[in-house]
Amino acid sequence: MTQLLWNGLFVGSFYALIALGYSMVYGIIKLLNFAHGDLYMLGAFIGYAMLSSVGVIPASMSITALLIVLLLTMIISGGIGVGIERLAYRPLRGSPRLAVLITAVGASFTLEYGVSAIAGPNPRVFPVRLQGETFDILGARVSAPQIVLMVIAVLLMLSLNSYIQRTSMGRAMRAIALDPKGSLLMGINVNKVITWTFFIGSALAGAAGVMAGAYYGKIDFLMGFIIGLKAFTAAVIGGIGNIKGAMLGGLLLGLLEAFGSQWLGGEWRDVFTFAVLIAFLTLKPTGLLGERVTERV
Amino acid sequence: MKLRIPKVLAVGAVAAALMATTGCGGILSGGDENASGDSGPIKIAAVIPLSGSSAPTGTYMKNGMQMAIDEINAKGGVLGRQLQFDPEDEACDPTQAAAAANKAVSNGAVVSVGGYCSGATLPTLPIFAKANIPMIIPAANSQELVNQKLPNVFLINGTGAQQSAAAVKFMAKDGVKSVALVDDNTSYSKDIAAQTKKDLEAAGGIKVALATSVTAGESDYSSVVHDITGANPDMVYWTGYYQEGGLIINQLKAAGFKGKIMVADGSVDASLIEIAGGTSAEGVFATMTQTPDTIKGAETWIADYTKKFGSAPGPYSTQSYDAVRLAAEAITKADSTDGDKIIAALAAIDGFELFSGPLKFTPEHTLSSGGFQILVVKDGKFTLHDDLS
Repeated sequence: MTQLLWNGLFVGSFYALIALGYSMVYGIIKLLNFAHGDLYMLGAFIGYAMLSSVGVIPASMSITALLIVLLLTMIISGGIGVGIERLAYRPLRGSPRLAVLITAVGASFTLEYGVSAIAGPNPRVFPVRLQGETFDILGARVSAPQIVLMVIAVLLMLSLNSYIQRTSMGRAMRAIALDPKGSLLMGINVNKVITWTFFIGSALAGAAGVMAGAYYGKIDFLMGFIIGLKAFTAAVIGGIGNIKGAMLGGLLLGLLEAFGSQWLGGEWRDVFTFAVLIAFLTLKPTGLLGERVTERV
Repeated sequence: MKLRIPKVLAVGAVAAALMATTGCGGILSGGDENASGDSGPIKIAAVIPLSGSSAPTGTYMKNGMQMAIDEINAKGGVLGRQLQFDPEDEACDPTQAAAAANKAVSNGAVVSVGGYCSGATLPTLPIFAKANIPMIIPAANSQELVNQKLPNVFLINGTGAQQSAAAVKFMAKDGVKSVALVDDNTSYSKDIAAQTKKDLEAAGGIKVALATSVTAGESDYSSVVHDITGANPDMVYWTGYYQEGGLIINQLKAAGFKGKIMVADGSVDASLIEIAGGTSAEGVFATMTQTPDTIKGAETWIADYTKKFGSAPGPYSTQSYDAVRLAAEAITKADSTDGDKIIAALAAIDGFELFSGPLKFTPEHTLSSGGFQILVVKDGKFTLHDDLS
């Protein structure tokens, strides 16, 4: 039981990190950025490229090296996210919603097959693999790397939350989510804020990518696809546009999967998970925390 | 070999392919005009995955075929004519495969030697059948391909049922008492798992402690690992693909699973061991047809291949090489490029030497023995453990 809880929360924290980017972008410009899952993949590949170029890293240094790579990857993948917004989404600002949505799908394929063309379609094995001691906590088998990754994920989410609540940029984001035209008239540089939103969301996805690469050990160019869909789902359960909702939705999705697999068997896991979601959204279409629409993001 | 798509989709794709072939009758009959006729090169088509996640294996296959074609051409070709190779990419996707097959037909293919992903190969069967082009399938081996009962289709890889039989035989031999069967929810993988379950139940003595599926393409398999450690079987038999297989082995070991692990042919790839990480994959068994590494006397062939392509051959290189040689042999025997005559020649072949041994097709056009053997991971490499003979 505790093992299931732990498994669910651990996977859920990955979903949550990616769901945040989905939710932030949707909250601000009402765009479902389907390329978001691929930024997670891109993050994993950037981390891979950096770690392999360094050469052999002694085991004692691997955590430090990983943290440095994590930070650099966040900056680079954030930059790429901004680039995508600039090239693919900004020119379409104001066009029909569907056009932008299809552009997002196009951006997703471009990233996937671009990486496949450059790095090859074969899966790669991450140069650093976090494998550590396991502890027994209340009957659950928990490993040291899992704890480290959970702590990093929680720290990232908490700092994002206080950033949005406490800084002027955060206030500007909330204002644009509320009323983009009004914000413009009030002298907020809307484009700058949107750029910044893409940067943060993409950086978080990139961080999740490096963490997944280091923990699971395998990366490939399609790794962002399924997790992107799951994160999107998590964002919707949480109430899309709502930051805390995205975090909660991610954790809930992870738990649903863990328990669904246990109760009904692995082949029914996704059926169970998504049936619960459909039922849930039928009863509460705005998602868990979606009601507080007065303040999205 | 792999059926990476759900059955419903496969059936739909076949239907779509059928419609495409009937709808495009003009294109197909038009194709006869540029067919290889009586002069010029004889075209050998191969619909194989050259992009997508199965691209590495597709490349092994293409190289094996190219090697056979170059060798035959160097010796003067077939019927005094050169062979021309026409590889078409299907990306392991049924829709692309149907389009690629139509293209191969209109290019004037005489024999098709492709077929890796069963799901993508299935919709190409009616297309080649309609054009009366013999198909020698080197890798795809789903039972569904056999069940179509098409006269032009020949499989030179062991079938799923033969693989299950080999797995069950080894489990009994190894003294395993309980087994967990895990598949990746695709038809190829489910076929083997279901067949193994049926064989185990029929044989008795070995308990199926757990039969479950995972979703391919994910990274976290903690839920299935939790189910397995809960059921605590003597052996886990994973019938899916190496990417997920490697992760599952890694996560099973991390969760403290002490039992044995066996994987099916879709997981036999050096990457499985790398993805599993460290020494996690040591001692993992596999049911597999012969690979270049396990064939005695293939050393010169491997050296030639490596010299020609700059990298070592991989799974299905030998079968693909053999498929082309077999096609050339059949054309020679038939003394014609006529489909019916080549099909008759193929069906009549007896004792033609392949890497897997002398060839004689069963009435179903499959190998009489699957040639499955048990490999084990030792010192980071798949090595022969038991040839089950």
